[in-house]
Amino acid sequence: MSKTTRYVTIDANEAVASVAYRLSETIAIYPITPSSPMGEHADDWAAGHRPNLWGEVPDVVEMQSEGGAAGAVHGALQAGAQTTTFTASQGLLLMIPNLYKIAGELTACCVHIAARSLATHALSIFGDHSDVMACRGTGCAMLCSGSPQEAQDFAAIAHAATLHARIPFLHFFDGFRTSHEMQKLAMLDDETLLQLVSPETLRLHRDRALTPDRPVLRGTAQNPDAFFQAREAANPWYDRCPDIVSNMMRRFENLTGRGYRIFEYHGHPQAERVIVLMGSGAECAHETVDWLVGRGEKVGMVRVRLYRPFAIDDFIACLPPTVQSLGVLDRTKEPGATGEPLLLDVIAALVDALGRGTAPFGALPKIAGGRYGLSSKEFTPAMVAAIFEELAKPRPRARFTIGINDDVTHLSLPYESGLDIEPAEVKRAVFYGLGSDGTVSSNKATIKIIGEGTDLHCQAHFVYDSKKSGSMTVSHLRFGPHEIRSTYEVYHANFLAVHDPGLLERIDVLERAADGATVLLNSPLPNEKLWASLPRELQDSLIAKNCRLYAIDGYQIAEQAGLGRRINTVMQACFFWLAEVLPHEDAIQRMKDSVVKVWGKRGGEVVKRNIAAIDGAVAGLHEITLPAQADSQHHRRPAVGPEAPDFVQRVTKLILEGHGDRLPVSAFPPDGTWPTATSRYEKRAIALEIPIWEPDICIQCNRCSLICPHAAIRSLAFEPAAAANAPASFRHVEETYTDELDGLQYVVQVAPDDCTGCGLCVEICPAKDKKQPKRKALNMRDVHEHSAAEREAFAFFTTIPHPERARIPRTIKNVSLLEPLFEFSGACAGCGETPYIRLMTQLFGDRVVIANATGCSSIYGGNLPTTPYTVDARGRGPAWSNSLFEDNAEFGFGMRLGVNALVRRAEQLLDQLARTLPPALVDALKAPVSVAEEAAVAKRREQVAALREALAGRSDLPAAELAHLADYLVPKSVWIVGGDGWAYDIGYGGLDHVLASHLDVNILVLDTEVYSNTGGQQSKATPLGAVAKFAAAGKSTRKKDLGLLAMSYGHVYVASVAMQARANQTLEAFVEAETYPGPSLIIAHCPCIAHGYDMLQSLNQQRRAIDSGAWPMYRYDPRRAAEGEPPLEIDRKGDQLSLREYMQEEPRFRMIELKDPARYNELVAAAERATAERRAFYEQLAEIHPIAAKEVPNE
Amino acid sequence: MSELNTTWLGLALRTPFVVAACPVSDDVDHLARYVEAGASAVVMRSLFEEQIIAEQMAAHHLIDGRTDMDAESRSFMPESGTVTLGHEHYIRHLERIRARTGVPVIASLNGVTPGGWTEMARDLEAAGAAAIELNLYEVATDPQESGSEVETRQIETVRSVVGAVSVPVAVKLSPFYASVPAFCRQLAGAGAKGAVVFNRFYQPDVQLETLDLDTNLHLSTSAELPLRLHALALLHGRVALDLSAAGGVHTAEDAAKAIVCGANIVQMASALLENGPEYLAATVAAFAGWLAEQGYRDVAEARGVMSLENAPNPGAWERLNYMRMLAGWQPRAKRR
Repeated sequence: MSKTTRYVTIDANEAVASVAYRLSETIAIYPITPSSPMGEHADDWAAGHRPNLWGEVPDVVEMQSEGGAAGAVHGALQAGAQTTTFTASQGLLLMIPNLYKIAGELTACCVHIAARSLATHALSIFGDHSDVMACRGTGCAMLCSGSPQEAQDFAAIAHAATLHARIPFLHFFDGFRTSHEMQKLAMLDDETLLQLVSPETLRLHRDRALTPDRPVLRGTAQNPDAFFQAREAANPWYDRCPDIVSNMMRRFENLTGRGYRIFEYHGHPQAERVIVLMGSGAECAHETVDWLVGRGEKVGMVRVRLYRPFAIDDFIACLPPTVQSLGVLDRTKEPGATGEPLLLDVIAALVDALGRGTAPFGALPKIAGGRYGLSSKEFTPAMVAAIFEELAKPRPRARFTIGINDDVTHLSLPYESGLDIEPAEVKRAVFYGLGSDGTVSSNKATIKIIGEGTDLHCQAHFVYDSKKSGSMTVSHLRFGPHEIRSTYEVYHANFLAVHDPGLLERIDVLERAADGATVLLNSPLPNEKLWASLPRELQDSLIAKNCRLYAIDGYQIAEQAGLGRRINTVMQACFFWLAEVLPHEDAIQRMKDSVVKVWGKRGGEVVKRNIAAIDGAVAGLHEITLPAQADSQHHRRPAVGPEAPDFVQRVTKLILEGHGDRLPVSAFPPDGTWPTATSRYEKRAIALEIPIWEPDICIQCNRCSLICPHAAIRSLAFEPAAAANAPASFRHVEETYTDELDGLQYVVQVAPDDCTGCGLCVEICPAKDKKQPKRKALNMRDVHEHSAAEREAFAFFTTIPHPERARIPRTIKNVSLLEPLFEFSGACAGCGETPYIRLMTQLFGDRVVIANATGCSSIYGGNLPTTPYTVDARGRGPAWSNSLFEDNAEFGFGMRLGVNALVRRAEQLLDQLARTLPPALVDALKAPVSVAEEAAVAKRREQVAALREALAGRSDLPAAELAHLADYLVPKSVWIVGGDGWAYDIGYGGLDHVLASHLDVNILVLDTEVYSNTGGQQSKATPLGAVAKFAAAGKSTRKKDLGLLAMSYGHVYVASVAMQARANQTLEAFVEAETYPGPSLIIAHCPCIAHGYDMLQSLNQQRRAIDSGAWPMYRYDPRRAAEGEPPLEIDRKGDQLSLREYMQEEPRFRMIELKDPARYNELVAAAERATAERRAFYEQLAEIHPIAAKEVPNE
Repeated sequence: MSELNTTWLGLALRTPFVVAACPVSDDVDHLARYVEAGASAVVMRSLFEEQIIAEQMAAHHLIDGRTDMDAESRSFMPESGTVTLGHEHYIRHLERIRARTGVPVIASLNGVTPGGWTEMARDLEAAGAAAIELNLYEVATDPQESGSEVETRQIETVRSVVGAVSVPVAVKLSPFYASVPAFCRQLAGAGAKGAVVFNRFYQPDVQLETLDLDTNLHLSTSAELPLRLHALALLHGRVALDLSAAGGVHTAEDAAKAIVCGANIVQMASALLENGPEYLAATVAAFAGWLAEQGYRDVAEARGVMSLENAPNPGAWERLNYMRMLAGWQPRAKRR
């Protein structure tokens, strides 16, 4: 490797951002997975005053949406700045209108895209080309890179080429597979970039800027006489563009030695079978072609780099004249099209060339078009080989899919999944860890140590599950002497580590181990017990695969080193010791150096403890000699129990076991409709400690079940007879605190396998043992000691009928006795959002429809494999859907309209049939129902049942239709749920419009004051003074007052609530919002891990937020105005604590104090001023008496 | 008019009034007003060994524990070196105080283990600390560690800090030693130049209603002064250490009492927090008035005149007097 070239080990997002940042003056950003890190890097560098190539710090601005970012990009370009942005998926779709404009105006610009699936039947954060393919018509050039190295290089080529071509470039690479893959790559230095970008083209770009010094006008409206010709006038620029890119690639090659072509053939010079594709899949195809050619096969591949403008002649010229069959692969799907985009382009190019006589072959080759890799589905050498096999057939399938089993339309090609073509010199390692144990971070450190300390090439790819608590991560690492093109997971690992012993019971970890693999287990058990504790399947595999088994008690070593349960350093040291990528001593020294380098700035103690952990790891590692035969008495726990319903057994179970890829097409609902009530079958058992109830101390206040984010601790009042056959483990006492529940029994029961161990229930529990105050009515206890008994008790608990809903008083003390219809979600331990949703389902869940904005709540609410929304004993429960991020208010608004339409139709039919039905029943059904009264709702359900009975057996169409729609006579509640990123930013326009209507919808804003789901980027809800991503120096403007904006309409119910600390007011607000017959807005304070403190403190911290006025507590009810009262009621004054005392408890504020105390003081002062002003303003508003009705003009 | 200047650890100070280790030093501009009002030196707020370690580990845990755990969010905070942990920001604050006030700045370290402090003390010296005040605040909770073991460890800590720096080191003590004078002799032997009596123990209260501990730290009052006066009187002239009163000095009279019992300086915190710079100016003026009224030409002349060595009735400082006081006390109900 060249001495002058600097090699770094980074992912494509960072590599691309580095180039784009240096070559830009203005950067407009908005977070969206998997492109967010590009924006984050740019923002971070700008906050650190890092200059671009011309010595200036670019403006990095976060907009309210990708649509906003595109508009800002367009404007900055018009003003002459070199401008870029980063996006993906729906974000790119939102940019499309501006892309047409930017291209139509022949403007040099570069957009970097981590290509990702578009939401169709479901959302997917993973990679394919459906987003970029939706931009084919925009007139942008499209340049595709297939590896982190290419992504960096093409970013530079795109920036330089666009200035020459005057066509905006969409530079894209595969989301996650490339964007998040770490690779050792040759870094482009400033000098190279400067040589690439021509000052002359830059000058011309600026010459085209709008300026009053040379005024021109753009954006005219044109008519039939002019538009067409003007559109065609741009053709020469498109004609020139491929040559410009080719020339730029040559220039780049001269500067760096890395050569690229816009179409690049690789393979046998006389190949008969050729596949055409782009993106990361081309790397795998390249590797497979080499292997096949090595076996004497005449195969080859064409890598498409510049997809638009599609240069027909260049494409034809790169094909070997010997080609007989072509397989064209698209990583996208266009239902109903004659073929996917690349296929159609290739066919058109071939036909065109044959027609013009420019093709090197006389006849059209056989052509097969295939889809692969949707949503990051694996694309492996086995699949490539299978495609070549298909192409060898006399009549290959014209259309196929690869990588799945399509048993419905039978399009899929079979492939041999075990095929391993990787050379032996490549060391392959797989690590199973938990999201919280640092496995991925330590693997990133490992690959940097190896990449930057040796001549080895390396690659790391990380796979996460979709849970936010107790999630599993799988890291795939490769090291080898040559370039690594294996853009797929590791299936034959030489080294395999399992960092969490619990995973051994859940997953077949050994399926990824090669024969003779070294296997490392982290376990607290001593050697002799460890072997016996392994499930039989694992023992069998270890022996059958001739593994060498090593073990370490990582927890103990981490604990001894003062690192708690953070085992990443310990496990990393074991890897280096066992994997022998580097000599032992050298590896350990490099690790220590890395600890100092990476963590040195966090303080000496951090370094000291991690170094102690490294030394402890080496000393604590030991080998377990495998016996000749497996002897374990227990088997791996099935992912779901036998009680689970058929769909869960057939489908969910496989996904839970990590074998979702095996499910055939027929297993799936084709329209994205999925059953609810399945999270209860996913027994994750992730808590180390669970709350154990002490009935003798309990005061039956139910605060534990009210605060639980996962509905994993339940309180229930029930008929004594129900406990007649209870097991001894099920403990219950008489209900003695509520008159209405006299005679019932009472229980607080933990769901031991669903609890995340957050401890909030214990923290909030007010009942202490008078003799020993540290013992409460709930105490966290070791799960191993209690899980068996509690599992049995909880199983019994689930069989107990709930009392009639009407019997439970709607007081804060009793409301959590209502059955939750939202349970065991994958939200973070201690989540501050989910209690609100659970409460809403307890109050209205049996008649609620939910529109959910994309974000945390849509992920823990609707991400496979299981669904947390559930049903009551009668099968009723929330119906839920997620449309998009930006449209949720409108989506819910539409739901209300749709429900209303069916209600109207039912009422109309009732009128129509009234004479044929019992008059008393018709009258009762036509009377309004008070939704505030459970008894009234129950009564209406009885009336509907009576109506159905009356209609039963009738054959006339209106009667059948009414019977079908009768349930709509029970009031339906529409809730619109989403986070602050939606409500304050991207969805605000729609939210505002819905508020301006009179429609009866309830809007719940789960305000975490940042974009939580994408990693804590600032929103307009972020408070002044807080550090967030995109606000690395602390936000300097005030939090948007969404409630005030809504109040300004006058007819909107508005509440600002904080449930953990003041649940009573939340309950009042929910009931008032539900009963208010117009739009209601509830803004809910949600503690979040993005705030940076231990979530166990969240209720105390929420109390501080309220007491300091940081979080206002009020309810604005327009109904009060009708009674002559001020509609605004302030529930807490918020002046009991200084704002500083609140802020100093949260790292998101304190980070500034540590960095720059003077700025911190300024921000605190400004925040104090803002809070005081708001408090004073609200106090005045609360004093305003409405104008008497007679003085108000009619609207 | 009498001279107000005094010396402390070899530093020449223009008055005996010094800002004690407390939040007064947090705001540099505000602090400057106390210096204008007569504070002759500033002891910075204590840098706690456990706190630094706890903050480092908490931040590490926070950043590290929420990194790379989810496909959509690599982390939850910006990546750049936003957080400076350890004592760097303390050092920068020290530099700001020096630049703004011009008076000697004494850095305060609160540590109980030898070794960990030497580097930090060196850094503080390099940043211009005029002296180091080592606060031996410690709550002994380990029944396995004897009093003498605790003391040995503390002396070792003092020795390691003294050995690390060339500026003078004072030691702030708690009142709970079997023999404060003997321990002070050991301190002098370990190289300390002064003793500050006493630090104020964190004394949580019990809340009967909630069965919780009330962890608020309450401000001192003049009622806490006599314990300090007693110690000053016992130490003055009997150990080779400069002496400072800390805790309970609220008025000019309090300061005067401390000086006559043997203090070189008095450190004030609660009174300053409660009453502000103007109050300090008035207190300094009243102290000067007292000194003049009593006919002392300077502070040194008044120092220690009421110590065990010099008091007209030294027995009053000793145990005998305690017996007499107890005998003179009767429960209220029995009084006539």
